[in-house]
Amino acid sequence: MRDTVLLLAMNGLIWGLIIALIALGLSVIFGLLDIINIAHGDFFMVGTVLAWFSLSATGNFWVGFIVAPVIGFFIGAVIQRLVIQPIHGAAALSIVATFGLSLILQETVRITFGATPRRMLAPIQGTIPLFGVDYEIYRLFAALIALLALAGFFLFLQHTKLGVWMRAVRHDRETAVAMGIPAQRVYVLTFGTGFALAAFGGAVAAPITTVDFRGGVDVLPFCFMAVIIGGLGNLPGTVAAAVLLSFLEGLIQSVADPTVARISSLVLMSAVLLLRPQGLFQGFTK
Amino acid sequence: MSEPVLRTEGLTKRFGGLIAVDNLSISLASRRIHAIVGPNGAGKTTFFNLLSGLLRPDSGRVLFRGQDITGRRPHEISRLGIKRTLQVKSVFPQLSVAENLWITRQARSRFLHPFRSAASDLEAKSQVERTLDQIGLAGLAARPAGTLSYGDVAMLEIGMAVISEPSLLLLDEPTCGMSPAETNRAVAKIRDLAQTIDIVIIEHDMDVVFGIADDITVLAQGAILASGSPAEIADDERVREAYLGRPEDEDFVEEAAHA
Amino acid sequence: MTRRSIEIGVAVAFSAFLIAVPWLVPALTDTFWVSVITEILIWSLFAASANLLLGYVGLLSFGQALYFGFGMYGVALGIDNLGLSFWPAFGLGIISAMAMALVSGVFAVRLSWHYFAIITVVFSLIFYFLAVSMKPLTGGDDGVNFSLPPVFHFGRTVWSLTDPTFQYFFVLAVVSVCYFLMYRVIKSPLGKGFVAIRDNDLRASLIGLNVYVLRLIAFVMAGFLAGVSGALFAFFGRYASASYMFYQVSGEAVVWTIVGGAGTMFGPLVGTTLFIVIREIVSSHWEHHSLIVGLLAILAVIFAPKGIVGLWNGWMTRLDERDAAASAQLKLQAEP
Repeated sequence: MRDTVLLLAMNGLIWGLIIALIALGLSVIFGLLDIINIAHGDFFMVGTVLAWFSLSATGNFWVGFIVAPVIGFFIGAVIQRLVIQPIHGAAALSIVATFGLSLILQETVRITFGATPRRMLAPIQGTIPLFGVDYEIYRLFAALIALLALAGFFLFLQHTKLGVWMRAVRHDRETAVAMGIPAQRVYVLTFGTGFALAAFGGAVAAPITTVDFRGGVDVLPFCFMAVIIGGLGNLPGTVAAAVLLSFLEGLIQSVADPTVARISSLVLMSAVLLLRPQGLFQGFTK
Repeated sequence: MSEPVLRTEGLTKRFGGLIAVDNLSISLASRRIHAIVGPNGAGKTTFFNLLSGLLRPDSGRVLFRGQDITGRRPHEISRLGIKRTLQVKSVFPQLSVAENLWITRQARSRFLHPFRSAASDLEAKSQVERTLDQIGLAGLAARPAGTLSYGDVAMLEIGMAVISEPSLLLLDEPTCGMSPAETNRAVAKIRDLAQTIDIVIIEHDMDVVFGIADDITVLAQGAILASGSPAEIADDERVREAYLGRPEDEDFVEEAAHA
Repeated sequence: MTRRSIEIGVAVAFSAFLIAVPWLVPALTDTFWVSVITEILIWSLFAASANLLLGYVGLLSFGQALYFGFGMYGVALGIDNLGLSFWPAFGLGIISAMAMALVSGVFAVRLSWHYFAIITVVFSLIFYFLAVSMKPLTGGDDGVNFSLPPVFHFGRTVWSLTDPTFQYFFVLAVVSVCYFLMYRVIKSPLGKGFVAIRDNDLRASLIGLNVYVLRLIAFVMAGFLAGVSGALFAFFGRYASASYMFYQVSGEAVVWTIVGGAGTMFGPLVGTTLFIVIREIVSSHWEHHSLIVGLLAILAVIFAPKGIVGLWNGWMTRLDERDAAASAQLKLQAEP
């Protein structure tokens, strides 16, 4: 019994780190572009599929870690330019647009990849004894990669030109434009970055979960939970919320149905929305 | 001297570390047009926001004809008879001009009938027509309000304020953005209204202020700098320094004050 | 041809068509299409519930499937578990949908619009998962089936919804009543109040409208429409399933509404018709019809954001203006 609790809790923690990456992408899009991106879970799913294709094409798993975010970035940028920009990011219209996008992504994957879910073999097999439990090495490795990616992203935001631009435009669009920051280009690159983050998360997660054209549907609500509970625009908060929520769900799952775990997260999210919409983690401002 | 129409006691509003309205105690007499002036950031619009319920004060009270209305919500305050216009003119852009007036009239009643046809309310309809004539927008009645010029929107706002038969009207820079001709028209309208309605007006156009105000209060940094009749304000040293400053303005103010 | 005459002509032709469907359609194509049209009518009510909120009050709800689900399960469980007959079950479905809308609306309507959209999804997801976990009762995603009690007794004759023609007319009648109610509300002072709030909620509160209460009223009305739609759906298929409470179903209602024309009376009907017809036609040849739905949705928001009915209204207005200019011309010429 204790083994299961530990196992599920650790799974939750690690999954939370991966979700944090994806949720970060959503937070960046939501925070900067004001768009409720219904397709974000599908961005993750596309990442898993890209990882799968690059593995079968090259025989090398690690290639996926590059292919997924790069292609994801490109697709995201194109989508922003072709779809989001013409509607000027208008509220209800962008939701419909991202909803349409979600359908297109799912169906395209279904056509090219097929409807049957597949499993990907982890590149690193084997387990390691950890806290008395035999734990899959790849999961630990995935957690490490996710951590590195998260750290890398925050460094990117602080130190690169694009990162600074993104923060400036989110903070105060008009001043940023007045100071010569090309806002439109930042939007394109932001959307691309959001896709890339989710796709990278997908590539990392692929061996842990299934590669399935419906794989994004479950991830989407979770990402929104992390973004809301963490606080809109609060990137570290989103990460913390993702990890915490996933960890908690893991714990609950050891004593109850996964559905119950999901319901409790949703109820928590409702409470946050109603009582403290700025999120639970204050103090971490942009 | 009748009861002041509006009185505040120690009204204070802070935004973070910034004090927008600082312990403001002001008394506005009835049946006189009262102007609130002051440099940008003096707290004038914040003051109006506090009066109309869009903001809650951190401390202090607001009394309307002796009744404490502190902390009431905007639509409640509106129902009591206090109507205001906004600094950035805003109406209902997708409704027609006539419909804008119509819904303002309808909003007075607590209950909006869900099934009766709107067109069957003849009393409202005649009121709308009368107001349209009053503000001179009868020709534009069917146009969506969002397509109007800025000056016409401002007149529509005044019309909306009027049709609701307010007992106190708060006008926030009503002539802002108007052409000289439109300004004259608006000023004439405001003078007209002042005969039956108590009016408080925020204005930057000193011509307008000295032209219609009976009392002037000058705000600076959220507090009262000076208060009195136009002549007193024009002669006040502190006001000149803080607000007017330039010699051309002095002459101009003297002329306007003694006109 | 004036705008008025065109619109009257269309209305008459359309009504005539609707009445003739059970005989006209099988003559032209397949009887199958009669039930498709019945389904379109049912789902158009669902889209109308999203439209009432989005198009008239300015609230984007992504969770109307919740109230649809309550209507659906109210009927299914009412008949199956509580042994109710037709009308009480129908009533149960509608009332429970409205009650749920009231309860969730009290909380949701306080929020500004991004958070409102999100919380409507969250509420519907909570109940979706609840329904899935209570599988013995609800059948989860697989759903429950039930047999239908008859509707009308006339001495010894019995009319029941198993007769497709009667079913069609019953649905048509209910849907028409709902549309009529919507029409009255939109034209009423309440409806104008809704639109004022949509256009400028700050101004609305300043003229004395209680924005919160009006939004809540609209939310319950939309819950009513979704509930009726769900109840009809349960009767139509003799089936109820939790999968219809998922957010993608809510999303489809929004898409149909916007493509058809948000803020118009018949936009939801047009949008629903378009998408369901496409689904039926395409899916018999190609299984990836969702791709077309997605593409259409995107094309619509980029090129026709006011929707099909919006475009129509635009053309009609231009027609009006042209007529007005023409008659002004005539007036000038007539003067000596």
